[in-house]
Amino acid sequence: MLETFLSPLYVSLKTVLTATVITFFLGLAAARWMSGYTGKLKSIIDGIFLLPLVLPPTVVGFGLLLLFGKNGPFGKILELLGTTIIFSWPATVIAAVIVSFPLMYMSARGGFEQVDINIENAARTLGAGEWRIFWTVTLPLSWPSIMAATVLAFARALGEFGATLMLAGNIPGKTTTIPVAIYFKIQAGHMGEAFLLTLIVLAFAFVSLALLAYWKNKANNKGEGITLAGN
Amino acid sequence: MLEINIKKTLPGFQLDIDLSVNREIISMLGPSGSGKTMTLLSIAGLLKPDQGIICLNGCTLFSSQDNIFLPPQKRKIGFVFQNYALFPHMTVADNIAYGMQGKPKEQIKKRVDDLLEIIHIPALKNRYPFELSSGQQQRVALARAIAPEPEALLLDEPFSALDTFRKERLEFELLTLQQYYLGDILFVTHDLTQGFKLGTRLAIYDNGRIVQCDNREEVISSPVNRTAARLTGVKNLFDGIVTGSDNHSAIIYIPEFGTSLKTTDYSAAKLYVDQMVVLGIRPEHIEIFEEPTENTIPCREGHQVVGVTNIHYYYYAERDNNKRYHLESCRPRPLLPPCFEAGKPCYLYFPPERIITLVN
Repeated sequence: MLETFLSPLYVSLKTVLTATVITFFLGLAAARWMSGYTGKLKSIIDGIFLLPLVLPPTVVGFGLLLLFGKNGPFGKILELLGTTIIFSWPATVIAAVIVSFPLMYMSARGGFEQVDINIENAARTLGAGEWRIFWTVTLPLSWPSIMAATVLAFARALGEFGATLMLAGNIPGKTTTIPVAIYFKIQAGHMGEAFLLTLIVLAFAFVSLALLAYWKNKANNKGEGITLAGN
Repeated sequence: MLEINIKKTLPGFQLDIDLSVNREIISMLGPSGSGKTMTLLSIAGLLKPDQGIICLNGCTLFSSQDNIFLPPQKRKIGFVFQNYALFPHMTVADNIAYGMQGKPKEQIKKRVDDLLEIIHIPALKNRYPFELSSGQQQRVALARAIAPEPEALLLDEPFSALDTFRKERLEFELLTLQQYYLGDILFVTHDLTQGFKLGTRLAIYDNGRIVQCDNREEVISSPVNRTAARLTGVKNLFDGIVTGSDNHSAIIYIPEFGTSLKTTDYSAAKLYVDQMVVLGIRPEHIEIFEEPTENTIPCREGHQVVGVTNIHYYYYAERDNNKRYHLESCRPRPLLPPCFEAGKPCYLYFPPERIITLVN
């Protein structure tokens, strides 16, 4: 009995934590790159990055199957390396990263662009290189937005169901995450177990919302000190 | 020595600037949107001009011909932004030290302490910008900009967010700062009084160009055109025609008043008969007579505006075409308000040596 939800909880946590770390860095890198990118393809790239946000998870899952399947470009490379990721634990991570990435990217970019350009320009005239400005000025000033983005990405990764099921399947102890487990418990009529798993998800949701509210509040109050100083 | 000769075209606006600064403070004066801030941004490397050249002490910062565009990081130029742009998440000391990265720790610490002493806030070293008053923030911004010992310092309306009292103190401190800072200083303002106080030279901006850049006394006494005259406080400007001239003076007929005035302005000798000119006089130079004499215009008293130190008097002259032409004079405020009645006739005397003639 304990095994039946400890296992999905363990798989989910492992997947979500790994995915959140990957999404965090991917999202920040993409956001930083796009903030400075002024090329013609800006809106197209932006659209591609945000696509998983608006597509049905099953469509994302289908797309991933095409990419990572036996005849897909990535699938072929993996086959050459003697491995496949379909129906394996890394597939849960890939699905979670893809669906949580747009949230991280969008919020981080919003955070970067909210930073007063004059403050970054001041750093430039003081001789700071672009990387130093990013680490010492842009990132600290957009930190509340980035933390809020991370919480959102975490919550989205935890809730991922459709794409995970299609790409990773339902292998207990390996790819069965909490949402997948809930679905199959209900199908099998194990309502009590589904209910307990639901409670776990609810607990995570409440903690996420509380954290989100905290960081959002911080992000909004960022300028408060500056306006107060006039008095 | 900072030399700028740049052009930049934007939709509906063209910047065309030629200016050189030689170890002095130049006040840049002009209406909003006339290109003052754009000039500063171009010098700092935050904006790329279309063509031209910018040199600082023999180092080419920008040259369209040689395809040189030094990034702002390498220009050794200090910039003080209108909103100060302090790093809100760093202490005062960290803000000031930011531009000195790479120097020995001890040296940075000493320089920060010295600068805090100079700007009179050594006790606020570990405070954050939002804990400071706007005047203190302004000082930190200034200290931060000069900390890396830039070769030129650019100030973009640095005192515009301060109240009069703090503004005057900071103006004074900026002047004393010159003892510690020997580079070129460019100072943007739209306040003539402030520009005059701080700048040894004034650069008058109009629509993307510098129409005049001269010693401040020169700009005040001999503005080159209407814009320069308006910006430097010549409130009374009229069109006129030269009807007579000799080596020292000229007679100018003003159709608006149907009167001729004599001027002994330095440019009078260069005028020729039938030349169209613009004639101007500052409010404080007009004198009021009760009887007509030479160089007076018959007027009527209009209304007065009482200020703290001055009173502005407005007069009008009525002509046959029923149009009213307005004139303004200004006097220090007497203890008792003078008798000033709307419609009362009077004669405005224009001292010949005070009349400014503009030929374009």
